[in-house]
Amino acid sequence: MGHPVTTNPLIIMLINMTVVFVVLVSLSVLINLIHMVDPTKQPEVKEDEGEAETAAIVSKLQAAPKVEPEPAPVVEEGIPPEVIVAISAAIACCGISGNVRAVRVVNNNKSAWRQNALNSGLTNV
Amino acid sequence: MEFFNAFSVSLQAVWNDSGFSAFTVGNGIMIVVGILLLYMAFVKEFEPLLLGPIAFGCILANFPNTGFFGEEMNVMQAIRYGINYEIFPPLIFLGIGAMTDFGPLLARPSTLLLGAAAQIGVFVALAGAMIVGFDIKEAAAIGIIGGADGPTSIYLSIKLAPHLLGAIAVAAYTYMSLVPMIQPPIMKALTSQKEREIVMTELRTVTKFERVVFPVVVTIFISLLLPPIAALLGMLMLGNLLRESGVTDRLSDTAQNSLCNIVTIFLATGTGMTMNAKDFLVPETLLIICLGLVAFMGGTAGGVIFGKIMCRMSGWKVNPLIGSAGVSAVPMAARVSQIVGMKSKPGNYLLMHAMGPNVAGVIGTAVAAGTMLAMLK
Repeated sequence: MGHPVTTNPLIIMLINMTVVFVVLVSLSVLINLIHMVDPTKQPEVKEDEGEAETAAIVSKLQAAPKVEPEPAPVVEEGIPPEVIVAISAAIACCGISGNVRAVRVVNNNKSAWRQNALNSGLTNV
Repeated sequence: MEFFNAFSVSLQAVWNDSGFSAFTVGNGIMIVVGILLLYMAFVKEFEPLLLGPIAFGCILANFPNTGFFGEEMNVMQAIRYGINYEIFPPLIFLGIGAMTDFGPLLARPSTLLLGAAAQIGVFVALAGAMIVGFDIKEAAAIGIIGGADGPTSIYLSIKLAPHLLGAIAVAAYTYMSLVPMIQPPIMKALTSQKEREIVMTELRTVTKFERVVFPVVVTIFISLLLPPIAALLGMLMLGNLLRESGVTDRLSDTAQNSLCNIVTIFLATGTGMTMNAKDFLVPETLLIICLGLVAFMGGTAGGVIFGKIMCRMSGWKVNPLIGSAGVSAVPMAARVSQIVGMKSKPGNYLLMHAMGPNVAGVIGTAVAAGTMLAMLK
């Protein structure tokens, strides 16, 4: 080995840091170059094209026929909304599709025969 | 009477040939140091794969009359040749290349700048070493500790200051294992809560073409520019090419497992073997360990400060915490960025973003070593 070019630590620091930065910046340029010439890359969607695509989707959604909301069930007075929600959930849990159309209180002041018929009707649904 | 004479002479010969007759206090101290390093490796689990064989090599190196340092060939001599003739560090790089995913770096090439900025620690330590009295070649070998790259530190030490190899290797590997303790306070001190909470955008997909072409292009470019590190960078990129080609799975598997493990055992044990009392128990060792810490801290700070600059220039899109990963130490430094980021904002995953500067740091340290070799030859 011969003599070092310089022994000044500051100069060595500056030269080395410059070389390291230049080499790594060059590598960064090379990486970008590889990306540019890559024949297998997916075509990039330009920002304008992306915005146009979004606008088209929005307009399609706006043009689609609006779905009318289901009418609210006819609920007899005195029944709290929580009870309606609980009944709807229970029906859905049983796997029965459809909506609750009406809720009314079953009159308990019925004859035993009538009450029995009603219960059996409910259990045989 | 003749029997007693023969017995006495034989006993004398056995004693003279034994290690006890030539055992010094220094040997005893170094064996204790070796046991301490073994404790750190196997009980505290600080880089056990490297520190374990280094520690055991240190113990072995301090037994007198073993012939390990003589002229006759033996296994320890063969291991030392592997280090002195720069065979093991490039082979380790082959394994590292096969294990490394350059995808995050290819997806965001600007992170290469963070890998470059983190090399400031190398040059701060170099200047510090010259100020405390080391010559320029020794200072360069000490400074490279800041690159947090064991094989490169060993590679440069062998070329510029072989007599300091033991202290430099131990300092480099010890600080690498202490990355989770050294880096977080510096990262927190240099960044604000708002900066640490920045969520970075997802990285783009990198194609196989880019992954395969990159190692070939880098090898050609850097080997032509800095021939002294062609062996290191070339093997790193060969390992990566084996991994990315998709048709050399067996070679990639061997490079990143069997071969890398075998060479790690030889390299680490051989490094430990350089820690004999005569060379290691000198005041310079303490200085090297202190300067290594300065280098490490300087590298971390340099990366984070450049991360802050990139954060401002990108319009708060880059989290400065990933800058600290520029000090190599793959993948531990990236994991530290991830942990500090997660502590500041749970759910903020910085790991993949930090892998970019992390692998850039490996290249940056090798380039710094190559530049110093080119200048100081």
